Amino acid sequence: MDILDDDKIAITARNISKKFHITEDSHNTVKQRLFRVFDPPRAKIVDALKPMNIQINKGECFGLIGRNGCGKSTLARVLAGVYPTDTGYVKTKGSTMLLNLTVGMSHELTARENIYVSGSVLGLKIKDIDLIFDKIIEFAELPDFVDTKIKYFSSGMLARLGFSIAVNAGADIMFLDEIFAVGDIIFQEKAVKVLEKSWIENKTVILISHSMSTIKNYCKRSAYLKNGYLEFVGDTETAISKYLSDNQEG
Amino acid sequence: MALNVLKDWIGGSNKLERFWLLAKIEFKLRYYENLLGLIWALVKPISDIFIYYVAFELILKQGVPQFVSFLFIGIILWNFFIESSMGTIQILATKKYLYEYTNMNKIEIYLSVIGSNLIGLFFNLVMFFIFYIFFEQGVTLITWHIILLPIIFINLIILSLGFSLILSTIYIYAKDITQIWAIVINLAFWISPIIFPPETFMRTMPSVKYLNPFSSIIINARDLIMYHTLPEWKLLAWGYIYATFFLLLGIYLLNTLGSKAAEKL
Repeated sequence: MDILDDDKIAITARNISKKFHITEDSHNTVKQRLFRVFDPPRAKIVDALKPMNIQINKGECFGLIGRNGCGKSTLARVLAGVYPTDTGYVKTKGSTMLLNLTVGMSHELTARENIYVSGSVLGLKIKDIDLIFDKIIEFAELPDFVDTKIKYFSSGMLARLGFSIAVNAGADIMFLDEIFAVGDIIFQEKAVKVLEKSWIENKTVILISHSMSTIKNYCKRSAYLKNGYLEFVGDTETAISKYLSDNQEG
Repeated sequence: MALNVLKDWIGGSNKLERFWLLAKIEFKLRYYENLLGLIWALVKPISDIFIYYVAFELILKQGVPQFVSFLFIGIILWNFFIESSMGTIQILATKKYLYEYTNMNKIEIYLSVIGSNLIGLFFNLVMFFIFYIFFEQGVTLITWHIILLPIIFINLIILSLGFSLILSTIYIYAKDITQIWAIVINLAFWISPIIFPPETFMRTMPSVKYLNPFSSIIINARDLIMYHTLPEWKLLAWGYIYATFFLLLGIYLLNTLGSKAAEKL
């Protein structure tokens, strides 16, 4: 894989790993830190990601599978640059966006403001956002709530807005974390259609899903994670069969 | 990192637009959400000035000439510093949505809040100059010296940004930095030349003039606006040295402590 042309690589991760230090009785104040120096809080170390290498090519749709708590979302966050890696390095080319059901929007802002802020954060110019603004609102089915603060939105409305922004504004590298659970059935069908409509082909997409049929549909290559270990990277068929056989044993 | 941001901005990306968009929204959130809206931006310095005027001019009879203008300058610069430091301690928590899902550079968030505070400072300066020109009597009002004011404002911005970075990254690990800073800032207010006449200040606390990173900003701003003299260059240089030091420390802390903000907050 290393021989691949540099231009064709979207993400290179070498020897990355991630541990979380979780304190049971959190010493979060200076006072606690001052007076309890000799009584440190019990720290629990969660070994979320064991050292691994991963490389994702430009324009590919890459699947991430594994059981709950195996480190899929942590890996996505490390690759997206949201969490720093403890060891090694991650190199990404282009802007990244992580999309899950609580996509990055401020509840104090209106739908309109959130669209402009998100679009701008994703690298678009204001005049480009003007052009796609109506499309975003229309796709999210929120024409009557453009100037409503999103804290008054239902969770379905929020998810639709986030998904619509991601689909229309998008980043170079998209991490889609279980997004097919968005909205009601009608919206889900619409979402799937959009993804099929060549949108996915123009972007580097990392797809996290428990739906094996979704992964099989979109991804040629996938990674299977188990308890923080990268068990397998390669063709999707093999990854899925490993995952399924492990589950049967368990 | 800060240099890279600057390079990007000049390089025609959308970062300048984004800065302005975020600054405007921040400003709107702060003032337009309240009943009285923008009026608060004007009421705050006026009420401060009123209180200190009563205490130090009417009761203690300090006898500083043009005391209201004297106070006015000190208060609006100080308030900018407070808003940019105290007001941004929780910035990494409240603005998490901006960096939690993308690889946006966090320093842009700080810059946009400073930008929003600059809009407020601008309104306050307009108020000050209206007062100074129309209500302050019997003095030469403004000379060419005020074109040097941007030098002071840049010093103020660097210092404020530095403290904003330092405090907000410490906040990730120690939440009560908020209370500690409230005490520090209270002390700092009384050992800064905001209320006292320069002579009193110098007579009782001469060393504080050079030890206090904020004194250069206030003393030199008054020199330029009210006393029509050039700034004290040595003091100005110290002001810049302090501000640069705190900014570099802040950037260092953002790169170290701040990188874990997404998982800790």
